[in-house]
Amino acid sequence: MIRICNLAKYYETGAPALTNINLNVSKGEFVYITGPSGAGKSTLLRLLFCGTSPTRGQILVNGRNITRMGASQIPYLRRQLGVVFQDFKLIKTRTLMENVAFPLEVQGIRRQEVAKRVFRALQMVKLEKYLKKYPLEISGGEQQRVAIARALVTDPLVLLADEPTGNLDDQTTLEIMELFKSANARGTTVIMATHNLELIRRHPRRVVVLKGGKIVEDHDTPLSMTASAGQAERSLDS
Amino acid sequence: MILAKMLYFFKGAWRNICQCPLLCLAAVGTVAVSLMMVAFFGVIFFNFEQLTSHWGQQVQLKIFLEKAPNDTLLAEWRRKIEACPEVESVNLVSSAEALERFRKRLGKKADLLEGLGAELLPASLEIGLKAPYRNSSGVAAVAETLRQHKEFSDMRHGGEWLNRFDSLVSLLKLTAVILGGFLLFATIFMIANTIKLTLYARRDELEIMTLVGGTSLFIKMPYIIEGAVQGLLGGLLAVGGAYLIFKTFLHDNLVTLLMTMGVGEVMFLPSGFQWGLVSAGMLLGVFGSLPPLRKFVRMRV
Repeated sequence: MIRICNLAKYYETGAPALTNINLNVSKGEFVYITGPSGAGKSTLLRLLFCGTSPTRGQILVNGRNITRMGASQIPYLRRQLGVVFQDFKLIKTRTLMENVAFPLEVQGIRRQEVAKRVFRALQMVKLEKYLKKYPLEISGGEQQRVAIARALVTDPLVLLADEPTGNLDDQTTLEIMELFKSANARGTTVIMATHNLELIRRHPRRVVVLKGGKIVEDHDTPLSMTASAGQAERSLDS
Repeated sequence: MILAKMLYFFKGAWRNICQCPLLCLAAVGTVAVSLMMVAFFGVIFFNFEQLTSHWGQQVQLKIFLEKAPNDTLLAEWRRKIEACPEVESVNLVSSAEALERFRKRLGKKADLLEGLGAELLPASLEIGLKAPYRNSSGVAAVAETLRQHKEFSDMRHGGEWLNRFDSLVSLLKLTAVILGGFLLFATIFMIANTIKLTLYARRDELEIMTLVGGTSLFIKMPYIIEGAVQGLLGGLLAVGGAYLIFKTFLHDNLVTLLMTMGVGEVMFLPSGFQWGLVSAGMLLGVFGSLPPLRKFVRMRV
């Protein structure tokens, strides 16, 4: 589903954000990208949704090279991806329904169909009662659930999540993880950046550890909960 | 499909306006005030133009005649004079008519003319010029042509007065161009910056729309329409407000001022200029939105 070859990204100052990244993610996989702050997790995700251009290397998403993709083609790539951010990125002046509907509206889907799918997506995150509410009228956890509903409403091939539970309490984190796992179970490839090792321990999946812009570990096969998290922790500590 | 999309864009624009009424009001207000200044400048400009054109009508050439011509001769002279492309009208002023005018000009002292014969003053031909030629060079060109006919030897045209008139009109035009240019620049600058600020306040939502797959045009269209609506409303308010202020405060003062200068009527803006202002408001709304939208709606940062 995703193939990254010799990827490098340097800041304008010349400092490296990512160097020599090689990574393959299969269809339907659930991958954690972890590492300390400044390791390059968010940059890697930004590169995956074309939020920035790499300095070197190639990224193939669903067989398509996105590194040299023209600006006019980027929206069409993003329609195949769902993106969830730590700060939710909901439009505050729009209702929850309008927020979730937007990715469908840009695709020109009929109004009745949009309404149906938005309701279903909000039902999935148990917020169907709040259709007409605005983001600032609900809690942070609920806002993140709306952001997930927005990311999943288009049935994306890949779900990218950048520290989605960073601002949330344990109970809400658990609810969010359940949503990701069920999306993954329906066939969506999930790539989640997090530095929450407890989360990785509780929900063990493939772990890619970044440090100083390089992949230092990749536990390619599902390891036991303790082993995977433990190795990641050691990598983060060293 | 296109109709549905356009409907969606208009709904989006309406939603934007309803969601941020204060921002919208600020933009409409700025457009209205800026264009109102242009409107007042227009009122002054067009009335001065009216004044100079009134003065211009007095620019004419006079040919004094030794004796009044008979109808056949007059017709022949008319034909000769009207052959000049600059000439608009030829009017015969008989000796009696000239004396009557002189009597009127003397007013209370008209009795000085008592007992004098009607042939005291010579008959003359007054030659009016077309609007673009009502200046010293226009008069000189006609005089040059007519001088070839010896019957028109006694020609008069206020040369020095004409030169002063030309200088005044040129000065007025130059002042109008400079002031108008500055005003237009300031207006465009103010409107573009206000619209930029209203979009700056929404840069987050614009960024979010790009992240969830909106194409550049799809995201921009409602904001462009919103800019057009704000500009249109601002333009209409500017024309309406300017008319109201003109009628309430300016009209009477301008009438007094212009009457002393010989023009009896004061005009508001010509309808073409009014529509121009409204259209300019709309266009400024659209083109003022484009640069900030280009800046905030970027796929790659």
